[in-house]
Amino acid sequence: MRTGHFKESPSQLIALSDSKVVWGWVGGLLCLMLAMPYLVGVYGLTLVVSALIAVIGAVALNMLTGQTGLISLGQAGFLAVGAYANAILLTDYAWPVWLTLPAAGLTSAAISILVGVPSLRLKGLYLAITTLAFSFIINHVILYAEALTHGPNGVFVKGARMFGFDVQKGLPLYYLALALTVATVLAGLNLSRTRIGRAWLAIRDHDIAARVMGIDLVRYKLLAFAISSFFVGIAGALMSLQIRFVNVDVFALILSIEALAIIILGGLGSVAGAVLGAVFLSFLPEGLRLFFALVADPNSTFYTNYVYEIRGIAYGAVIVFALRFKPEGLIGIWRDARKYWSNWPLAY
Amino acid sequence: MDFLLLLIATGLVSGAAYGLIAMGFALIYKSTGVVNFAQGELVMLTAYIAFSLSNTLHLSFLPLVLVTVPISMAVGLVLERVFIRPMLGEPIFAIVMATVGLAVILRGFIIIVWGSQPFNFDAGISSTVVMIGTIPFYPAQLYLIAALALVVLAMWLFLRFSRYGIAMRAVAANETAAMLVGVSVSRIHALAWMLSAGIAAIAGLLFAANFKLAPDIWFQGLRSFPAVILGGMDSVVGAAAGGLIIGVIENLSQGYVGEGMREIAGFIVIILVLMVRPFGLYGSRDIERV
Repeated sequence: MRTGHFKESPSQLIALSDSKVVWGWVGGLLCLMLAMPYLVGVYGLTLVVSALIAVIGAVALNMLTGQTGLISLGQAGFLAVGAYANAILLTDYAWPVWLTLPAAGLTSAAISILVGVPSLRLKGLYLAITTLAFSFIINHVILYAEALTHGPNGVFVKGARMFGFDVQKGLPLYYLALALTVATVLAGLNLSRTRIGRAWLAIRDHDIAARVMGIDLVRYKLLAFAISSFFVGIAGALMSLQIRFVNVDVFALILSIEALAIIILGGLGSVAGAVLGAVFLSFLPEGLRLFFALVADPNSTFYTNYVYEIRGIAYGAVIVFALRFKPEGLIGIWRDARKYWSNWPLAY
Repeated sequence: MDFLLLLIATGLVSGAAYGLIAMGFALIYKSTGVVNFAQGELVMLTAYIAFSLSNTLHLSFLPLVLVTVPISMAVGLVLERVFIRPMLGEPIFAIVMATVGLAVILRGFIIIVWGSQPFNFDAGISSTVVMIGTIPFYPAQLYLIAALALVVLAMWLFLRFSRYGIAMRAVAANETAAMLVGVSVSRIHALAWMLSAGIAAIAGLLFAANFKLAPDIWFQGLRSFPAVILGGMDSVVGAAAGGLIIGVIENLSQGYVGEGMREIAGFIVIILVLMVRPFGLYGSRDIERV
């Protein structure tokens, strides 16, 4: 049993983790991720890339909803903005990928400030409904601004090359997604330890008290919107690279709900929780497919006929069960397990 | 002039549907403080139940309503018991997210049970056009407006004079104080869900009779949010008025602006309304502004 945990120099306070064991595990995970393309097949790699994109989106939403306490039901809208910005700049304007990715993030952030300004006076559910309204308006504008977005025809994404590699498939796409995921997770972890992150936590816990302590609510709420949407926009851009064709229908309301389900399941407010939740929910459809393949009669077409409905029911069930039985989420289960392990054989 | 009148008339019809759905929202929000994101799904579920009932029993309109509403209230009670009651005492955000989960579950459930093909469902209403002045109406449209008027009157009388209605307003005003004077708050919560499901049944039945019975009716729930916000989330009668206003605004903007404005006019209106009056037109002024 550990009896104490002492920090003896400022550098130990600044370090992300001062535990050699933790760094060892992180290094191992990174090596595993680097070797992933050689461990799983082409199909597996597609799933892993989707999971990485989900991780970026979840960490970003976690900044807004988990850390600042601003509930957003408009994630699909920001994803759409990022994906369209990337697709249009690549295909119609032939920008290089290393420029379109940040441009997609910045476009999304700019739009989010537009959304954020009227939302400043609103809290909780009213804010959720406003973000929902904005995501409908964004989809509508995309559908009707045909000159720019090709309207209902959608945009094919082509010509994404980076260092001579085609980053729309296989290894290059995977490593690009991995690099961006690592960058996002690092940004998420570090942001929560800065002045900005602490201001966000204060706003979440009690906004009036935060204001009394001198936190500029307008500034930090808008920052939360902008920074979160920047990463969501990048996730959208990656999505457009992976699916190669963007269309408004891809960014339906269910995507926003999925994003909220991820961070609720993972544990609100925790970056590690967002990562866990994203990985879990990304592989849930695959798990369901395997489950039905095992259990169901091989001639039954029940699963193939109702694949979206079953997936939807599974998301809903995950939300309901997580809220009811483990409000702290997967990260809460992990913390309990860790505490049990380090305190054993004592109960607490 | 005729064009304007026609737009307003059809706007009032779709507004009546919004108003009915919005009243369901407001009723639950008023007594439990929860925004029920599954209200649209409740409307869809009850419409499908009515469809199955009418197919097996072959009833005309009024008996169909009289059979559907109690069954829907029972469904509302079951949903409240299974999904919402165990969450009592959790933060509001958690309960609201549980209704979001419930919504997704119901959506999948309905398609698995009834299939994704739309049905024609006349609910025993004839389809001969009736002229009122110079404006043609389908009877189903008039039924919808009449239903809104009746439900508003009934809810107003219920909340104003009945024992349970007064208890419901007491719970809305102050839950703890209501509990102290002997109101069973959990029973009131269950009653709110039952009444809301009953109103949802009327809305679903008439919406399906006016348009089509399809598994995308749930979206009407989200389209009704502007009406709830405009009316003020905790004002049941205000929600009905908000529904009519939003319906007319949507139709006018579609008629004179076009470009699919019908789809988003309501949402633009609520963003404007929330910026100016964050508590809606008739809502109580309890929103903290920070």
